Amino acid sequence: MNILELNGVSMIYGQVKALYEVSLTVEKGEWLAIMGPSGSGKTTMMNIIGCMDKPSSGSVVLDGQDLSRLNPSDLTAIRRDKIGLIFQQFHLISYLTALENVMVAQYYHSMIDEDEALGALDRVGLADRAKHLPRQLSGGEQQRVCIARALINYPSLILADEPTGNLDETNERVVIGILKRLHAEGSTIIVVTHDPEVAEEAEKTVFLEHGRIANIVKNAPCHDLASSGN
Amino acid sequence: MAVALFAIAIGATVLLGMAAISYDIPRQMGREFRSYGANMALVPVGSPLISKEATDRARALIPPDQLVGMTPYRYEMVRINMQGYTAAGTLFDEARRTSPYWSVDGEWPDEPGEILIGYDIAEFTKLAHGAVVTITGRASNGGRFRRDMTVAGIVRTGSVEDEFIFMHLAEMEDLTGIAGGTVVEASVAANEEELNSLVARIASEIPDVAPHLVKRLTQSETTVLSKLQSLVFLVSLVVLGLSMICVATTMMTVVMERRKEIGLKKAIGADNRDIASEFLGEGLLLGCVGGLLGVFCGYFFAQAVSVNVFGRGISLDWRLFPMVILVSAAVTIAACLLPARRATAVEPAHVLRGE
Amino acid sequence: MFWLILRGALTRQRGKMAMIALTMALGVSLATAMLGVMMDVGDKINQELKTYGANLNVIPRGASILGDLYGVGEGNGVSDKYLAEDELPRMKTIFWAFNIVDFAPYLEMQAFVSGLSASSQAMVVGTWFDKHLDIPTGESVDTGVKKMKSWWDVDGSWASDDPDSPSAMIGASLANELGLGVGDMATIDAKQGEGKKLTISGLINSGGDEDRQLFVPLAIVQEMSGRAGLVRRVEVSALTTPENDLARRAAQDPESLSPAERDTWYCTAYISSIAYQIEEVISDARAKPVLRVAESEGAILQKTQLLMLLLTVLCLACSALAISNLVTASVMERSAEIGLLKALGATGLAISLLIMTEIMITAFAGGAVGYFAGLGFARFIGRTVFGTPVAVKGLVIPIVAILAMAVTFAGSIPAIRMLLSLRPAEVLHGR
Repeated sequence: MNILELNGVSMIYGQVKALYEVSLTVEKGEWLAIMGPSGSGKTTMMNIIGCMDKPSSGSVVLDGQDLSRLNPSDLTAIRRDKIGLIFQQFHLISYLTALENVMVAQYYHSMIDEDEALGALDRVGLADRAKHLPRQLSGGEQQRVCIARALINYPSLILADEPTGNLDETNERVVIGILKRLHAEGSTIIVVTHDPEVAEEAEKTVFLEHGRIANIVKNAPCHDLASSGN
Repeated sequence: MAVALFAIAIGATVLLGMAAISYDIPRQMGREFRSYGANMALVPVGSPLISKEATDRARALIPPDQLVGMTPYRYEMVRINMQGYTAAGTLFDEARRTSPYWSVDGEWPDEPGEILIGYDIAEFTKLAHGAVVTITGRASNGGRFRRDMTVAGIVRTGSVEDEFIFMHLAEMEDLTGIAGGTVVEASVAANEEELNSLVARIASEIPDVAPHLVKRLTQSETTVLSKLQSLVFLVSLVVLGLSMICVATTMMTVVMERRKEIGLKKAIGADNRDIASEFLGEGLLLGCVGGLLGVFCGYFFAQAVSVNVFGRGISLDWRLFPMVILVSAAVTIAACLLPARRATAVEPAHVLRGE
Repeated sequence: MFWLILRGALTRQRGKMAMIALTMALGVSLATAMLGVMMDVGDKINQELKTYGANLNVIPRGASILGDLYGVGEGNGVSDKYLAEDELPRMKTIFWAFNIVDFAPYLEMQAFVSGLSASSQAMVVGTWFDKHLDIPTGESVDTGVKKMKSWWDVDGSWASDDPDSPSAMIGASLANELGLGVGDMATIDAKQGEGKKLTISGLINSGGDEDRQLFVPLAIVQEMSGRAGLVRRVEVSALTTPENDLARRAAQDPESLSPAERDTWYCTAYISSIAYQIEEVISDARAKPVLRVAESEGAILQKTQLLMLLLTVLCLACSALAISNLVTASVMERSAEIGLLKALGATGLAISLLIMTEIMITAFAGGAVGYFAGLGFARFIGRTVFGTPVAVKGLVIPIVAILAMAVTFAGSIPAIRMLLSLRPAEVLHGR
């Protein structure tokens, strides 16, 4: 079953074609990486998939709903219900604790549940840091809070924008480990990255160039098996 | 930047306007206080009357821009229908200036033969304006005079004037056959100190005149005016403080918006001193330009306030202009310093990453 | 959760919030002080202008004030009419009793006054110096020339009204002529019977007619002239509202007004309505406004109030600008946070509500502090300038509150609107 379908999606800013006639399908439970050099349209594509932008033409169907017909407030609702966002810059609210940052997502989604939020932090290994403010956490820890926040509402799709861009090697490993586990649990994940090591972990890598899909590569399944063997 | 310039210009406008107004308040209000009437009285020494010549010499000693009016009065007993009244000969044009509180029902006398009668006399005699009365009296040579005069108006003040008859001084002199005033009232817009020195000068230079200050006016005016001035001064300080805060908050906003730029400059090798001096330079420029703009607007602002409130233009000390520009520049720089320091304290990487 | 976020925002970024609260407090305190001073400045200046003396002369109906003032012979068309001294306290029972600041009765007579070395014909004025009165309403006041003639330069001390140990005050030139000084005895010769001996307690230097008069307690003149319980005229000093058209029409003829206009006029402290009310309580009296004082007061009051109004508006505008600037700045600073909340699915309304509540709470806290600081500041201005604290009227609270709310709103709404119109994608990717 397809969770996401892009049909002939174009995004044109004046003279610039950021995306041109892109078609792509993502299946439920799939882990997809989007790669490409700067200006290839990665961020534009992520914004469109993340319901933060509407394409100039073409249709986007997420979980059976055509996004191009929706107005901004409907898009906000879709984003809230179906998508978990992970940012390169974490974007945690500086005056709220790790736990409260997770609960903010619950609050705007439906209702807050502190135990559930603690559980989400526990899944990313941060249960003991729940009461800390973002400035008291390391970069890796902040990114893990961001991931906990992204998955708290059981999104249909987890969308990660350069999740390891601001992290060192060790933390990168930890974050990739968490994504792998989420994938193993059945989450659909789309990672936008320019780090080949991160992309390799995905099942499929989409290469963008000049706003078009240049290539789609299926990664060796052995990676997948080897790391999720436990 | 335009916002900052605007804020500084407003600050400077307020600064100049307030300084000008509080500086000019005693003069402006002093004029208003002249509505209480004459604050100096000249009485004759040696002879019973003051000559016109002595009056003119006294007038010449009072600075013309401070002299509101100078009115001679000549009191004589007259009779209308055998009833005795006090008649005062005066110059009506001057009387209107020295005693602006006179309320006249009808017209002020203009033509010869026209008189004003006091409210109480009008009540008592049932005379209305337009009536013709026959005034009789004794001239200085012992003979009697008799003349028909027209009541031009009825004057009401609530005090002694209500019982007087006012006529042209020239006619009074003609009727009685002797020239001069019993007393000369002067209304001078000056403070107590100036008045005292004026009195001393008149007394020493014109021996046949004794000037007196109307104590209850001069003293009250000094106390009330000094209070008013300190009130306006305090209030000006308040407004000044506020406008400075306004400039400061605006500058902070402007500088905070440029945190990114600061981060970038630091990243490419600028040290804190470079950045600080850059901001100070900009602050200085903004302050001077804004101050200059404010000086122009402030001049018109003060002028407008003065015209609206007092109905007169304002006199400005030109030295205020450079001072205002200096103060605006100083405030702008001070307002730049705090946010610039805060901005330079930030690690460039953090700012650039947008945290 | 709403409150949780709010609490976090308020308690964990104290520096920022304190800055807003501080500016708010400053703005509100100055606005409060200015409004307070502006609303009270009329009364204060009015009080100061009382040094110019009485603005109402109460005389018997049909009587002429000329005879007494200028000594133009008695009986010369001047009818012998008087006011009753025991009716005077009734002036403090009229509708505008509170506005009657001071009053003093006068009864004059010509008499021979002898001092140590000489004697002379002089005007003897009977009056109240500092008389204690019990008002029919149960209150009591002290009034008399001591308060009315504050510009008199007194050498020595004010005389006493005490009938047991009467003293007198003498005009400086008369004292000079008679060779009298403070502490000396002056003798007033009566037309018939025994004269009166009085101790001189002070010399008066007024620059006016008073310099040639002898001031004694009212009872003495009443007794010596055989006019017990009578006074010739009363000077009244009243706080008044500047005249307008209505007041001028009423002054001509109070009966010409419509009932509604009459009520307005009667219940406003115009000099004409106060005069009218005095005429109502004192039999056969005529209260004449002294235009020199009344008109000038009106002019000066109006100018001062206009000036203060202008300054207050300026002050309010400045504080509004300062506050809204800061609020705008503090909202703009939070673009990333707002973008994130939007990305998490918060609606524009929810975000606006959150930020507005947060700023309003801060502003309220700052405003409350500022209000009380402003009260203190107004008192300070009042005490420095007028010697009495400015009473800030209750009306100031709603004005300041509405102003502060409006300014905070005006400062934050455009900023929030602008931020909400930003797409989260742009904010979050730092573009």
